[in-house]
Amino acid sequence: MKTTGKRSLIIFFIVAGFFFGIGSFLYSFATQGGRWAVQPFNGHISGSAASAGAGKIFDRNGVVLVESKGGKRVYNSDYDTRCAMLHTVGDTQGFISTGVQYNYKSELSGYNLVTGLFSPTGKSLGSDIHLTLDSKLCRLAREKLGSRNGAAALYNYRTGELLCMVSTPDFDPDSPPKDIDTNPAYKGAYFNKVISSTFTPGSIFKLVTSAAAIENIPDLDSRTWNCNGSITINGNRITDVAPYGRLTFRQALAHSSNVAFSQIAIEVGASKMMDEASTMGFGRSFTLGSIHSAASNYNVKSVSEDQLGWSGVGQYTDLVNPYHYLVLMGAIANGGQPLMPYMIKNITTPVGITSKVGTATLGGSLIQSSTAARLKDYMRYNVSHEYGDSLFPGLDVCAKTGTGEVGHGKGPNCWMAGFSSNENTPYAFVVLVENSSSGSVSSAGRIASSLMKAAAGS
Amino acid sequence: MLTTILFILRIIVPFSCIAVAARCFTSMRLGKRRKDPVILLEDTAAHRILPVFYWENSIGRSRSSDIVLHDQTVSRSHAVLMRRESGWFVSDTNSKAGTLVNGRKVKERAPVFPGDVISMGATELTLRRVESPEIDPFRPVYRRAASPFSLMWSVFIIQILLAVQVIFAKGNPDFNAALPLGLLMLTEWILYLYSITIRGQVSFELETLAFLLCGIGITLISGVSVKDAFMQLVAIVLGIVFYRMMIWFLGDMDRVTRWRVKIGVLAILMFAGNLLLARSRNGSKNWISLGPVSIQPSELIKVAFIIVGTSTLDRLQTYKNLTGFIGFSAICMGALFLMKDFGTACIFFMAFIIIAFMRSGSVRTVFLACAVAVFGAFLILKIKPYVAQRFEVWHHVWQHTSDSGYQQVRVLSYSASGGFFGVGAGHGCLKNVFASTSDLAFGMMCEELGIILAITVVVILAFLALYARSEATRSRSTLYSIAACAAGGILIFQACLNVFGSTDILPLTGVTLPFISQGGTSMISVWGLLAFLKSSDERTYAVRRRRN
Repeated sequence: MKTTGKRSLIIFFIVAGFFFGIGSFLYSFATQGGRWAVQPFNGHISGSAASAGAGKIFDRNGVVLVESKGGKRVYNSDYDTRCAMLHTVGDTQGFISTGVQYNYKSELSGYNLVTGLFSPTGKSLGSDIHLTLDSKLCRLAREKLGSRNGAAALYNYRTGELLCMVSTPDFDPDSPPKDIDTNPAYKGAYFNKVISSTFTPGSIFKLVTSAAAIENIPDLDSRTWNCNGSITINGNRITDVAPYGRLTFRQALAHSSNVAFSQIAIEVGASKMMDEASTMGFGRSFTLGSIHSAASNYNVKSVSEDQLGWSGVGQYTDLVNPYHYLVLMGAIANGGQPLMPYMIKNITTPVGITSKVGTATLGGSLIQSSTAARLKDYMRYNVSHEYGDSLFPGLDVCAKTGTGEVGHGKGPNCWMAGFSSNENTPYAFVVLVENSSSGSVSSAGRIASSLMKAAAGS
Repeated sequence: MLTTILFILRIIVPFSCIAVAARCFTSMRLGKRRKDPVILLEDTAAHRILPVFYWENSIGRSRSSDIVLHDQTVSRSHAVLMRRESGWFVSDTNSKAGTLVNGRKVKERAPVFPGDVISMGATELTLRRVESPEIDPFRPVYRRAASPFSLMWSVFIIQILLAVQVIFAKGNPDFNAALPLGLLMLTEWILYLYSITIRGQVSFELETLAFLLCGIGITLISGVSVKDAFMQLVAIVLGIVFYRMMIWFLGDMDRVTRWRVKIGVLAILMFAGNLLLARSRNGSKNWISLGPVSIQPSELIKVAFIIVGTSTLDRLQTYKNLTGFIGFSAICMGALFLMKDFGTACIFFMAFIIIAFMRSGSVRTVFLACAVAVFGAFLILKIKPYVAQRFEVWHHVWQHTSDSGYQQVRVLSYSASGGFFGVGAGHGCLKNVFASTSDLAFGMMCEELGIILAITVVVILAFLALYARSEATRSRSTLYSIAACAAGGILIFQACLNVFGSTDILPLTGVTLPFISQGGTSMISVWGLLAFLKSSDERTYAVRRRRN
């Protein structure tokens, strides 16, 4: 019997294995339970079995963007507001993965370790989320984009509050179109282009080339470039809209001369161009709270001279993420180091406790402060001498436009990125219009103008 | 208001369960006999007293013997001295010199009475009673052991609380929904009265624990379908009947030994019948339909497997090799492979490892068996792609939320949704997922009744295995020790496969959670397994002997 008793110790191994497994399950339960619970298929969050409704989302002025009524998610009563806020708020099904409803599911659903998604009182346990965004401004941006696809964002670079973020095409989250997956008009409707997409930048990239020139060409302001409408590099012809004649650097940027900037990029050299782009945030993801943006791309490793030239004017393989440029505008306006945008003003639990307050955080430096100051001057000159201050009356806007050619028979990406240098209206913006049929000032510029005027007015 | 009251009741339930379970297990510990010698052997030549501690004692020169004799003429394992219903016996286990009682050679087994002289080689031992007569060594000392009535009463109260959950699951009271649970309570009291009052049993802890778990299972099933809950109740009643029959059957070790081969043959015939008659259901071929009822023979064969595998100490010492049992196990495992029931094959394998190791103590056998198993698993993955698919999705379930990881992610998601105390019986969403009340029962418990209760349930199963181990030297025979350890091992291993399979810690294999999952044959089978645990408790047969 003694021997049998000793051999029975084999049971300990099995039981030890059991407790090890239970321990690892409980550890995951405690650390990942929130993520497990808030899956879109979970019947306790959505669907008729929802045991407790999720919290509300408000804009900065207290406008209800979405709330739970009778076990369903109900969006703002105004169609245009619903569509304009779609990509920020997100859809009910959770297809828009950058939406607040997706990323703050556990706060909205009221998940906690102790009661899970269950509400012992029967009332919603979900927290309410107040956003920094202004739904009116978003509605305006959507209205100005009209039927065109594109993106627009605007933030206060002194406080970090994101005021406007719009992406088109959109759809009505109260009744998603049935043909959303098949109709080409809805292509990209689940993407928030501000955050998740990258586009050929065209001339807005010249800000990077300019920064590289400022730091690497000592006599930049005394130099001139002969812009006769085109230049042939390596047998490849790089053209301008018109022959401008002899231009100083400032004039070259204002006219956005490809002839000048392709030569400048070649003169600075591939490795210094890449260094500058990398410093200015290319190849990096930026965060908006817990949401990560797509990374902009600039890569001229082992390229020919003409390719380097094209890259310097925002063509070749260059890609820019709108949110990245918004942050970059904030950096230039702020002397090199941006205040990172945020969109969650606060989160309040059903018992009225504010569980989270959004605050601006200082991002890493994107540009040397002396370079930022000179770039700001040049960008101010762009508006005052080229685009016209009438677009932004009294706002002292510094900006750069761009026209990224995408080929394939499509119109260009028209961009404008900039900021107001007026202390009273510290707003930075980025506007993109895809497949544009008119120039960047008349497309993106007009939208930027409306947004900046509205933001400054309110 | 109702929601809040039900929630408070759900907080009370798990903590009451923990209290009852703790009381049961401490009571079983306290109910044990003290470790005093039960009888003495006196070495006639040296006048040395050798205390005898167990029901079955190996005698020999080997240091691992229970009674070690330092005599070169004694074989390493010479004989076994054992206590049976009718008194003490000595059995010669193929010794060289043979064993004599009062000068007469022992053939197989001979009775020994106090004063008799047992001769082995040059050693002579006289059987002597323990000298202090005030201690009856065979009467267990029930120090502070819980009264069976108070345990039953606690479980009754817990089940009333569960019934309240079921009655108010849909808001308006629906007493019909709680009828299966009510009938279960009635059944429990009937068994209680039968065991304690009519059979005069002194212990009721294992039954209490099993009732506790069965009640939780019925609660979950009632929230899905009251009809299924009735079916489950029927299965529990049949299980209890089987349990009592098993306890009776196991009461006589000689009967068990006589029936071993017949049961083995029956088991193989059942497998053969299964393979011939069964139709494929959900990928495996383990069900036979007999009119309106379907049975899963492999569940019952688990019980048979243990009976075939276990043995008394004298037989263990006499027939040392495992060939017969290995052959039998190979047939069982082969049949399960043909049935494509790999989850059950794993359980049989674990039972085989426990029995083989406890019988032979050979680590080599265990390693060899594991090597064969690994090779077998490799072969399966090669030739059965659907099993490989389960392995592929393992630890990647979140990338397969709508196909091969469908069940696991829902178990995780809904378990977390339930929090500590659950969303309430019948209020879960997991019940709509396939096999929710059987393979995913753990997830359903978490969601509807809370993770504290779910963990309590599986920890009770783990403690049953530990209890089986702690009884290993106290039971009346190695037959019971080995059987109880194998049964306890099966219960906890099955719980592991069920819990960890559905939560993506192990690959998902469709096995049931003992006492909780819906399933007729599996419920009967776990009660059968519980009978092995019960029989290893020496108190189980204490009363009957006193009567004699």
